[in-house]
Amino acid sequence: MSTFIKLLARNRLAIFGAAVLGVIILLIVVTPLLPLPDPDATATADRFKRPFSDGFILGTDHLGRDLLSRLLWGTQLSLAVGLAAALIAGTVGAAIGIVAGYFGGRIDNVIMRAIDMLMAFPYILLALAIVAALGPGLLNALYAVAAVNIPFFARNVRGVTVSIAHKEFVDAARLSGMGHIRILTTEILPNVLPVVIIAMSTTIGWMILETAGLSFLGLGSQPPQADLGSMLGEARAALITAPHTSIVPGMMILLIVMSVNLLGDGVRDALDPRLRSGALSRPMAATLVRRDETPPEEAETEAVLSLENLQTRFEVGSRIYRAVGGVSLAINPGECVGLIGESGSGKSVTALSVMGLVASPPGIITGGAVRLNGQDLIGAPYRRLRALRGDRVAYIFQDPLSTLHPLYRVGDQLTEAIRVHHRISRDAAHERAVKLLEDVRIPNARARIRSYPHELSGGMRQRVAIAMALANEPEVIIADEPTTALDVTVQAQILKLLDDLRRDRGVSILFITHDFGVVGQLCDRVAVMYAGRIVEEGTTAEVLDAPAHPYTKRLIACVPELGAGRRELHAIPGLPPAVDQLPHGCAFAPRCHKATGLCATSEIELTGTGRKVRCILPEEDVA
Amino acid sequence: MGGYILKRLVSAVPVLLGITVIVFAIMSLIPGDPATAILGSYATPENVEKLNRDLGLDKPLVQQYFIWIGNMLQGDFGRSFALNRPVLDEVLDRFSATLVLAGAAFILCAVLGIIAGVISAARQYGWADRAITVAVILGISIPSFFLGMMMILFFAVRLKWLPVSGMYAIYGGGDLPDLLRHLAMPAIALSLVATGVVARLSRAAMLEVLRQDFIRTARAKGVGEGRVIWGHALRAAMVSIIPVLGIQAGFVLSGAVYIEIVFQWPGVGRMLVDAILKRDLLLVQGGVVFVAACYVFFNIVVDVAQSLLDPRIRT
Amino acid sequence: MSLSNVTRRGFGALSAALLATSALVLPAVAQTPPEALVIGQIAEPKSLDPHAVTAVNDFRILMNIYDGLVRYKPGTLEVEPSLASGWEISEDGTVYTFTLREGVQFHDGTPFNAEAVVFNFERMLNEDHPHHDTGPFPLSFFFSAVEEVEALDAQTVRFTLNAPYAPFLSNLAYPTGLIVSPAAVETHGADVGRNPSGTGPFKFAEWRSNEAVVVTRNPDYWDGTAASEALIFRPITDANTRVAEMLAGGIDMMVEVPPTALSQFRTDDFKVAEQAGPHVWFLILNAKEGPFADKRVRQAANYAINKSALVNDVLEGTAEIAAGPTPPAFAWAYNEELEPYPYDPDKARELIAEAGAEGAELTFYVTEGGSGMLEPISMGTAIQADLAAVGFDVEIETYEWNTFLGRVNPGLEGKADMAEMAWMTNDPDTLPFLALRTDAWPDKGGFNSGYYSNPKVDELLEAARASTDQAERAKLYQEMQTIVQEDAPWVFVANWKQNAVTAANVQNFQLEPSFFLLLKDVGKE
Repeated sequence: MSTFIKLLARNRLAIFGAAVLGVIILLIVVTPLLPLPDPDATATADRFKRPFSDGFILGTDHLGRDLLSRLLWGTQLSLAVGLAAALIAGTVGAAIGIVAGYFGGRIDNVIMRAIDMLMAFPYILLALAIVAALGPGLLNALYAVAAVNIPFFARNVRGVTVSIAHKEFVDAARLSGMGHIRILTTEILPNVLPVVIIAMSTTIGWMILETAGLSFLGLGSQPPQADLGSMLGEARAALITAPHTSIVPGMMILLIVMSVNLLGDGVRDALDPRLRSGALSRPMAATLVRRDETPPEEAETEAVLSLENLQTRFEVGSRIYRAVGGVSLAINPGECVGLIGESGSGKSVTALSVMGLVASPPGIITGGAVRLNGQDLIGAPYRRLRALRGDRVAYIFQDPLSTLHPLYRVGDQLTEAIRVHHRISRDAAHERAVKLLEDVRIPNARARIRSYPHELSGGMRQRVAIAMALANEPEVIIADEPTTALDVTVQAQILKLLDDLRRDRGVSILFITHDFGVVGQLCDRVAVMYAGRIVEEGTTAEVLDAPAHPYTKRLIACVPELGAGRRELHAIPGLPPAVDQLPHGCAFAPRCHKATGLCATSEIELTGTGRKVRCILPEEDVA
Repeated sequence: MGGYILKRLVSAVPVLLGITVIVFAIMSLIPGDPATAILGSYATPENVEKLNRDLGLDKPLVQQYFIWIGNMLQGDFGRSFALNRPVLDEVLDRFSATLVLAGAAFILCAVLGIIAGVISAARQYGWADRAITVAVILGISIPSFFLGMMMILFFAVRLKWLPVSGMYAIYGGGDLPDLLRHLAMPAIALSLVATGVVARLSRAAMLEVLRQDFIRTARAKGVGEGRVIWGHALRAAMVSIIPVLGIQAGFVLSGAVYIEIVFQWPGVGRMLVDAILKRDLLLVQGGVVFVAACYVFFNIVVDVAQSLLDPRIRT
Repeated sequence: MSLSNVTRRGFGALSAALLATSALVLPAVAQTPPEALVIGQIAEPKSLDPHAVTAVNDFRILMNIYDGLVRYKPGTLEVEPSLASGWEISEDGTVYTFTLREGVQFHDGTPFNAEAVVFNFERMLNEDHPHHDTGPFPLSFFFSAVEEVEALDAQTVRFTLNAPYAPFLSNLAYPTGLIVSPAAVETHGADVGRNPSGTGPFKFAEWRSNEAVVVTRNPDYWDGTAASEALIFRPITDANTRVAEMLAGGIDMMVEVPPTALSQFRTDDFKVAEQAGPHVWFLILNAKEGPFADKRVRQAANYAINKSALVNDVLEGTAEIAAGPTPPAFAWAYNEELEPYPYDPDKARELIAEAGAEGAELTFYVTEGGSGMLEPISMGTAIQADLAAVGFDVEIETYEWNTFLGRVNPGLEGKADMAEMAWMTNDPDTLPFLALRTDAWPDKGGFNSGYYSNPKVDELLEAARASTDQAERAKLYQEMQTIVQEDAPWVFVANWKQNAVTAANVQNFQLEPSFFLLLKDVGKE
């Protein structure tokens, strides 16, 4: 509840809405106490007085009635009616929806068909017909508006109920012999209620509009009673002579509906768990860069790609997650470097930072450099970054089902990758795409090129992704756990493919993984990441055979090895630290069996050349 | 594909039949009778009774219903009591006018709404996003009939830029520019709420899509941001926008009633309001069945569009 | 080229040619063309078959397409020759013999003659007539006294009545008496209402549903050709939109200007025409039951309602206070000595106290609009407030016009204590005969929905209707008015001055007491 209030309070528009609505409600609450003239007292000689004239704050209407008084009383009525209509529609609609969703089968079918029919009816005409049948009057208009909105609620609630009705706790309740009524009221209803409340809060404004509409057509409140719609309807005849009589109620409707909508949106946003995490913000085209120090734009280096003290963080509200806390890594031409670590270690963020693909907000690169052939990419203009992406540096991502566009044919996605960097004809690009698919050993490439991603197997999809990465013959391929989502035999095929391609084409690979087994098959060198930093680096053979960092050692110990017979698998006790609360000194110390007091006192450097380790008590000497 | 469409069309038949029953039932429940309406001031009980007999309204309701349905299946929608004209002629005339108005408003709401939503999402928290958000809130809060009245007052009466009412100039005109000038205000007034709704839902859908992995893939390929947003992201977002458009089409069709009254548009909504108030049974029944059929048909179109867009639905 | 081909595009060419030179400097919105008169109507016509319609709105078009045997002399309600060049009435007042004008043709080219006249009345009155099924003919009872219509020769027609019936000639001048081409009825059947053919100054050109009815000048009109090339009747049901169109220059004239908008037109760009007509706006009081069964309470209601505020403020001077049941427009039948009930709330309270009806709860039927109903909701609301001021608790129920009629015409008993009503007739006989006689109670097929009954009044009305001597009729009607005012079966509220607005360049326009719109001589400068 308090989070709800807090979230609501953070939404400035909702606060504005609440404030306006609050003022309006306050006004109509004190209306009976205000020294206002009788809203229905006519004084035809005083008709159409302009606002602020002769003691009429808002002027008078066509019968000389005080507009302010009518406005306040009318607002009271309109708000009450809107609220009542929402309540009635919500209650009845929810009841129907719950029954349909819970019982399912024929009951559901019949009810939903009826709802379909009602929804195929133009709602205003339905409301009109209902009012015509019941006779005019505000109460009847209220029923009509409520009635035409029932299908909307019923449909929404039914959807939610269906998803709840098949959950375990409902089954459990059923098995325990609870009656339908009991289950509906004690198990289903509490879970459906938030949906109903959200729907109601977002539709009250709508209800007020609709009721005003019926009153506008003369089917709502009966004279002399004022409600906003009838005020507007009556004022219409004098629109040109005395526009204020229309504008006053019109603006009030606008204000009420607007404030109700704003507040309703705020309530919905605050109640919606997806929005609660604050995650519903879209990533920008390139990661934001906010470096305190700008490193030189160019530097002499042998490496095709080198990371220098790269720092990337996520800023969520007041919290700062240091996902990458100063990573330096170099990849030489034709080399395959593995970057390994548990999930959350920052290895993927490191990989994405290279081409500015870290989602931002909330990601920000706050320091260091990424050099491609010596040129710094961090802080490079978007145009340059874009020109290099996929052309010089290509990516292969983890789950090809979600990383390929589901609505484009794979061929189109491939040719697009080529054509954004090369001005070649569609046909030529197509031929090239076929060739690429053949290169990644997709059988029957010419037919498969017309497939959609969902029509391919996981392995095939990943081959497509690899073909896409190869499309422009890049210097570097960054493969972010490309085999994790695949089963073991396919995994082996993909690794073999990558290895062959690397050797045939001399492309460098930065290979992100959490699996030492995979590293061993492919990588020349390997760097181990923990809590946003590299803790050990060396050739694959060295690191695998003689891990220096206690963390690496434990990590390797976790890998079951084929043909190694029975060996005890040790899980590492504890969890990696949250990167918004990194411990002082060695981040691994709290989980390390060798840790001493010294480990937590000061920053620990990555020491060594070529073979490096960040530990004051390494398992192996790396000097 | 063909089979899918056929299946959808067949499944619409019971819905349409149900609608005929509902219309007929509601119209039978409404007190007052067409004879009074026809006779006007001279409706004495005696005259009314005789006229009802002539019109066949003294028969049992069930029989009346089946006579109506039977005739309708043969293409005979009957004759409007109040207009003294075949229902079908009147409905077709009016319906085409409504289709023009609602169609224009729908196109406006779809195009503007999507563009606004996409820009709003792409520039999240920027000034464009804020401006659009405020405009959208205002748009969905203003009663269309009030807006229409104010537009007439301002653009037609004061500035004389646009014609006050009607669909074509009464003399001259009749061509496309003439239609567009008459269409401008009503279409905008009618589309406003729907545009707001489409914009905010497009924004939400785009935000959702822009976080997807395949957007990152596109960017990693080096696809330009324009193409990422308007191509990759929008295409995927359309999957959730299209059903919203379907719903909005229904709202626009319904909301046309007020706009047709304010702008004197010769559409089916205004006709039906009059017909309901005048107890013009056959005209109401015929008109509503037509509108509902259109709505049902449009839903099918939406589903088909959806399946064309999203290959995953097709299989 | 058939008439219906004179379409929108035809006019487009016409006006385009005329405006070609000035087109470039015109504002975005084109003005009305100089040759045609555009009239803002209050509703889509129901039919252009004069025998099938009842609404003044339809009459306004019909009077320009058709002629009757007789017509009202301009500016009066007196009958003069039209298609009949003369007539004779038998001594006993039951046989009327008309001599028809020669050489007149219907717009479809068929000749107008005695057979055509017979055809018209037979179609309406004779259930066995082959074209009687092209009805219904709701106002055929205007001629229910007609026993026989015969063509004596090509130019002579004889009507035989079953009893003397004073309003007969006046009814012939009413739109129900207009003469339709028999050939058109034979060709189009029930659709003749959409394909009308008459003898009038304009011929029907086209009817675009809900957009316009266009009629063009009849070059062969027997009474001189019309001043305008064409008339375009635009249905604009919404009064506000109609006013906006008028202000914006989209129409040349409009009728039934809402009182609140009238001030907009008091400028040099417009001309406002006013004409008092045979109209009376009143409240039916339920004299059968409830507080209004007591005459004193009925009188109290007449005293309590501030009629001058109603006509001057609510109706902005578009009406005058009514004194009794007969409007002053029927000059000869009107009782000049009658003074309206003054506005006197104290007197009203006194009478109410005498009758012991203090604080009575009343149900008041109000309509949303309707022929001659003059701002019924505003009027009803103001009346409600006046009655509240003398202690009545009045609850308003509003109904759409046709629903309203469906509730009021069968009688107010058991439903309501009072109801708004307005009548426009072209003779002083019809309204009291249909709405004040004991024999006109709803169960007897009349419109006396408040169940007023006074044998003396019944007697006077029967005598006046049968008499053919105008002086005697006047005496009877004046006596009736005095009695009815005293009995107060209604609250007499207002006599409408019908109004119309034209653009300043519209010439020769005048409103008729009959409330018809005669546009033959109206043209633009």
